[in-house]
Amino acid sequence: MMADHNNHAEHGEAHFREKHLMLDPLPRGQMNEMVMESMYHTTWKFWVVFGLLAAITAYALFYSWGVMIAEGLGVAGVNRPSYWGIFLVNTVFWIGISHAGTFISAILRVFKAEFRRPFTRAAELMTTFGLVQAGFSIFMHMGRVWLSYWLMPYPNQRMLWPNFHSPLSWDLLAITTYLLSSTMYLFLPLIPDLAMARDRSTGWRKTFYKTLALGFRGTEGEWAHLRNAMNIFAFAIIPVMFSVHTIVSWDFAVATRPGWSSTIFGPYFVIGALHSGMGAVVAVLAIIRGTMKHMKYFIRAEHFDAIGKLMLIISMGWAYFFFNDYMIQWYGGDKWTDHLLHFHEYGPLGWMWFAMLICNVAVPWLILWNARWRANPLLISIVGIIINVGMWFERYIIVPISLSINRMPFTWRMYEPGIEIPLGIGTVTFFILLYMAASKLIPLIPVWEVQEGQMAHELKKFGRETVVTVSELE
Amino acid sequence: MATLNELNIAEVKLSAEESGKWGMVIDQDICTGCQACVAACAMENNLSFVGEVDAGYGRSMHWIRIERFWEGEYPEVRMTNNQPMMCQQCGSAPCEPVCPAFATVHSMAEKINLQVYNRCVGTRYCANNCPYQVRSFNWRDYERPEPLPNQLNPDVTVRRRGIMEKCTFCIQRIHRAQDQAKAEGREVHDGEFTTACAQSCPANAITFGRMDDPQSLVSQLAKRRGGMHHLEELGTLPNVTYFNGG
Amino acid sequence: MSEQFSRRDFLKLAGVGAATTAVLTGCGPASRYVKREPYMEMPEYTYNGQSTYYATTCRECAAGCGLVVRTYQGRAIKTEGNASHPLNLGKTCARGQATLQGLYNPDRVQEPSTGDWDAAIQVVADALKNNQPGEIAFLMGMAPDHLFDLVSDLAGATGMNAPVRFGALGMFEARATLSKAAENLFGEAALPYFDVGGAQVVLSFGANFLETWLSPVSYTRGFAGLREAQTKQRGTLVQFEARMSATAGKADEWVPLRPGTESLVALAIGRLAAEMRGGVMPRAFSGVDVLDAASKSGVKVETLQHIAEMFANSAGALAIPGGAALGQSNGLEVAEAVLALNALADNFGKPGGVYLSALAPNQAEYHRPASAKEMQEFVQRMTRGDFKVLFIHGVNPVFELPKSIDFKSALSGVGQVISFATFPDETAAEADHVFPDHHGLESWGYQRVVTGTAQPVLSGAQPVVSPFYNTRATADVLIAAAQLAGGRFAQALPFKDEVEFLQSKVALLMGEADGSFVAPEILTFMAYFQQHGGWWKNSDGRGAPDTASALNRNINGSMAEFAGDGEFFFVPFVSTTLAEAGANKPWLQELPDPTTTVMWNTWLEMNPKTAHELHIENDDVVRVVSEAGAVELPVYLYPAIRPDTVAMPFGQGHTAYGRYAENRGVNPNDLLGQHFNEAGDLAFAGMKVRIEKTGRKQNLSRLESMMGVYGEGMGEEH
Repeated sequence: MMADHNNHAEHGEAHFREKHLMLDPLPRGQMNEMVMESMYHTTWKFWVVFGLLAAITAYALFYSWGVMIAEGLGVAGVNRPSYWGIFLVNTVFWIGISHAGTFISAILRVFKAEFRRPFTRAAELMTTFGLVQAGFSIFMHMGRVWLSYWLMPYPNQRMLWPNFHSPLSWDLLAITTYLLSSTMYLFLPLIPDLAMARDRSTGWRKTFYKTLALGFRGTEGEWAHLRNAMNIFAFAIIPVMFSVHTIVSWDFAVATRPGWSSTIFGPYFVIGALHSGMGAVVAVLAIIRGTMKHMKYFIRAEHFDAIGKLMLIISMGWAYFFFNDYMIQWYGGDKWTDHLLHFHEYGPLGWMWFAMLICNVAVPWLILWNARWRANPLLISIVGIIINVGMWFERYIIVPISLSINRMPFTWRMYEPGIEIPLGIGTVTFFILLYMAASKLIPLIPVWEVQEGQMAHELKKFGRETVVTVSELE
Repeated sequence: MATLNELNIAEVKLSAEESGKWGMVIDQDICTGCQACVAACAMENNLSFVGEVDAGYGRSMHWIRIERFWEGEYPEVRMTNNQPMMCQQCGSAPCEPVCPAFATVHSMAEKINLQVYNRCVGTRYCANNCPYQVRSFNWRDYERPEPLPNQLNPDVTVRRRGIMEKCTFCIQRIHRAQDQAKAEGREVHDGEFTTACAQSCPANAITFGRMDDPQSLVSQLAKRRGGMHHLEELGTLPNVTYFNGG
Repeated sequence: MSEQFSRRDFLKLAGVGAATTAVLTGCGPASRYVKREPYMEMPEYTYNGQSTYYATTCRECAAGCGLVVRTYQGRAIKTEGNASHPLNLGKTCARGQATLQGLYNPDRVQEPSTGDWDAAIQVVADALKNNQPGEIAFLMGMAPDHLFDLVSDLAGATGMNAPVRFGALGMFEARATLSKAAENLFGEAALPYFDVGGAQVVLSFGANFLETWLSPVSYTRGFAGLREAQTKQRGTLVQFEARMSATAGKADEWVPLRPGTESLVALAIGRLAAEMRGGVMPRAFSGVDVLDAASKSGVKVETLQHIAEMFANSAGALAIPGGAALGQSNGLEVAEAVLALNALADNFGKPGGVYLSALAPNQAEYHRPASAKEMQEFVQRMTRGDFKVLFIHGVNPVFELPKSIDFKSALSGVGQVISFATFPDETAAEADHVFPDHHGLESWGYQRVVTGTAQPVLSGAQPVVSPFYNTRATADVLIAAAQLAGGRFAQALPFKDEVEFLQSKVALLMGEADGSFVAPEILTFMAYFQQHGGWWKNSDGRGAPDTASALNRNINGSMAEFAGDGEFFFVPFVSTTLAEAGANKPWLQELPDPTTTVMWNTWLEMNPKTAHELHIENDDVVRVVSEAGAVELPVYLYPAIRPDTVAMPFGQGHTAYGRYAENRGVNPNDLLGQHFNEAGDLAFAGMKVRIEKTGRKQNLSRLESMMGVYGEGMGEEH
């Protein structure tokens, strides 16, 4: 990453400092204080927004869901043949969102991409919080949610086990594994920061951080163990991440339905998940940068630029797999699939199909080529949100729209969402709510990682060239 | 439909897999679409009615529906043969492997698909994966004002909201007949009982019986030329054979 | 039958082993006292966990199919066809299946309007006693049943007006026209029986015999016989009508002729067929000009020719007149022309041909229900104040008669209106007193089977459950009231109760030969009567019509006259699933219509091309205006209807009749004017209507997918 800056010697050191967090070190104590202050600093606006979101969340997740549990799924829009609707769309969507966290954190860590350092935490939180919303969505979807524990393989008198042939059982295992491992993976690099916070707080926070820091003191041995554990998790969680969305895709790909039964769905879904996830990450980073104190120091244009490039590449990958999927289905020549493809494009919701392509391909391709636009937090976060809209449309097209068309034309019928809308909004507000709470409770910036990176980076002069060097720390 | 002695079809060997299998034959050429089977099914199997709005939104609980399409335009327009469509009791049913709770399973005794109501958690995956779209979901607890519940058939479970249901080949009747035969130390006779739909059908377009008995009327009829299975190309091995007349 | 006679005695008597579990039960008096008991106090004959089956007769329409009702712990839980009943051979239609939704309907009339039955009987007795016999009238349902016999006896003995029977089904079947045509052609006012099952080529002129016409279950069996490809050549059905009914949907060929030209088409086919057969041209067909008939009816000459060829060359040719074809100003002529086709085919009294329906065993001659014209006269007498008392049972004329005949206003001209309605229907709502009868499944009785079977059948009914509410059999009420009124009334009905009256009637059958069972004395005979679900002869009781004059008379081929100045022919048809009294049964409401798959509502069928020209789309609410009235309802773009015709089902549009029926859909009867054909049947298909847009939309609930079936919303042609 840093290599392409070699040619910019004329800018000098000040320029490098301004541009690159890794080359702009502050005293450690000051940096720690900045992070602590970003947690403590709370304005009335925060509480207004927090209260509003909390009210919406309570309405959606308690009242609306309560109504649905009491009345049945009839209050939602699902019908024959669209037995699955927005709940499943949201499940896939939130699992997709959750992918970026792990991707950024684990893959970039494994590949030693240095620009990752300030925002791995924010991205990892997205994994966990996104999965929570996915979990809510999938439980909302169930006809008898109060019996959802029957899907767990628990020992019982009647020797009844879940059906391990069912993709939904695979889903359950994959998502649970992912949730547990990503939460662990979130927690491990958090320990040194919790210890830092413990040493700088009083009152209930002191107790809170003390408990969570697990007595971390920063000894050489502790660091060695921590690094080991993080390395193991970083490598191990990557296949888990890929498997989760592949398995989610199998919910569809394994079924015998036109439009679903596609062998390319595994990688198509993974790349789609990354697409929406990266979009969500930039949006979250832009909001954090804009609303929290001192964050402009930690999150800089270089980060948006770097993520922007990734987004562009992922967008191309998504376009490739979309085209691939379309080709396979179109070339297959199955008459029902033909009906379905036609329906996608020219049916009552055909606009959504075109909007999906505009949001997922046209918009990123038009904007992200430009380095200056890419580095503009506002613009790129808007692009990120547009990509998420496009990816939500993609899932909407795959789930309820594709379900409208099947091999029994006598049953074709459109899906019109009902109570899914407040419930879906509820998952969004709850997601934001969790982020807001987290921003006040844990350091959103992994301070030790930033400091570590800053220690490793150095500017050296070779003749008239100023060169960035990175030393191996481990 | 023809009676047995009018048919002259060679006896075929019975494989072990066929043992205990029940099947149905439907002659679309004589089906008049009168809805008697639909009503009979609803009365026998405690189906809920859902009201105008839900029914129009694809939420009716019919276990059997009669499809018809149009061919051509006025005045050369033709109504296609009525096509009663119910659970095809697939030999290799797409609904079964996808249920995470084992709520829809294959019965080894009757060779039909079972829906275990009290095991169903309502993921509705089975219904999505059913190529025949014959599963009905209880979207609500549908109202059945007093004294309508007096009509409920005690042999059939009453379903509540959040549960999938579908045609059972009137398994309660199968079992009643089998119990009776067992008590009398004999096999179930062909034609001793039938499903509610077949029983009501004024045109006798539906024939139900033992497929494991090569002499039974239904297995003889199923072997006639011109019979077809719906969406056979999916490898579902349906247990309902259709004849389209002519 | 004495009350000491228990069911156990009966079992011994009838020789039915008590171990048999699925007994067909002629339960005798025991069932009169069946109580729905908790498990602790089960009636003595009820086995825990075992069902008891009772044979009875379906009362949903007047056809008289035999039922076997499965009961369990004193509750009726399923109606099934009585397999040994000659009419339906174990089969039922959708309405028969849904009988229990009437029995257990939450909106039944639960007690007499007087509060208790003693007062009610006093009211009836006073009505009988305090009025001149000529001022007392009975209006009853279409079914020729024991109650009709009882009232007829009462009227005969006391000089009261003879009971009048009426039903909308009979009106839409144009029964009077059919029997009048039979009288004109065969010299006998009988109801013809068409042996569809034995025929090879069937031409049906508007007879919707697979839906509601005469005896749909029996005729559907006949249709299956026609199509039976396994045992003989597959038969052909050709249907002539302006709107494709469910029957036409099953036909091999549907001929959408211009309404009102049926007689021309029938005569033209007769002429062409006679020419093909050679010989002397029968007088009946000599007056018709084939080319003129073709141009007037809009049917191509080639079509007429190939149908005539099929008809002439078939050994089993049959032509059926019915439904809307007869409900026109020239309906009688249509019926005669079509019956003449049968004379040409020489199928009278032969398999696959036309018979005269078998009379029931206790029936001297065919007694048809009143035609609409006779009802109009009845209503006029009501308005004039001829009647001081009107008893109404088994019919809902406020709903079933055309609004223009205005039965409702005429009721105010009657001193006292007493309804015996089981359900709170529109007529009961106007009555002074409602003394609810039991539901059919709670009732005793018998019913004559008028058509649909070769054998003479008296179908038997018995209670299968004990009455749910504080209702009472109308026969019992009349008997008790007659006793109370004393004098001639008491002498006319010298019975202890309804069952005794029934016995007195059934006893007459004991002497008849060739019966389905015999018994040495009345108690056993009665028990068998109940057990078997009736008594029938084993022999063919149908008559062969006299063919002598059928062809040898002039039949005018003319076009029907149409009332009103609208641009559309109006075809009302009876809903297969709802008919005149099904709308209060929720499951019948939720059965899709066989042709449109619409549930829970009324629609107007219109050709898509016409609609396109008028800028009308599916579900647009339009106003249909006739000379007699107007209704508003949503449009269904129906691909199989003439562009100059609109059609509407009859069955909805109730303003009373319980929660499932009320304020749902509209009633085409509101549009029908007072025009009759020569036989006195309503020219219900002789109206022209105007269509006006309202700008509103109302979504029809359909089972079918508009996308999948009509490609609606699927983008351009694919």
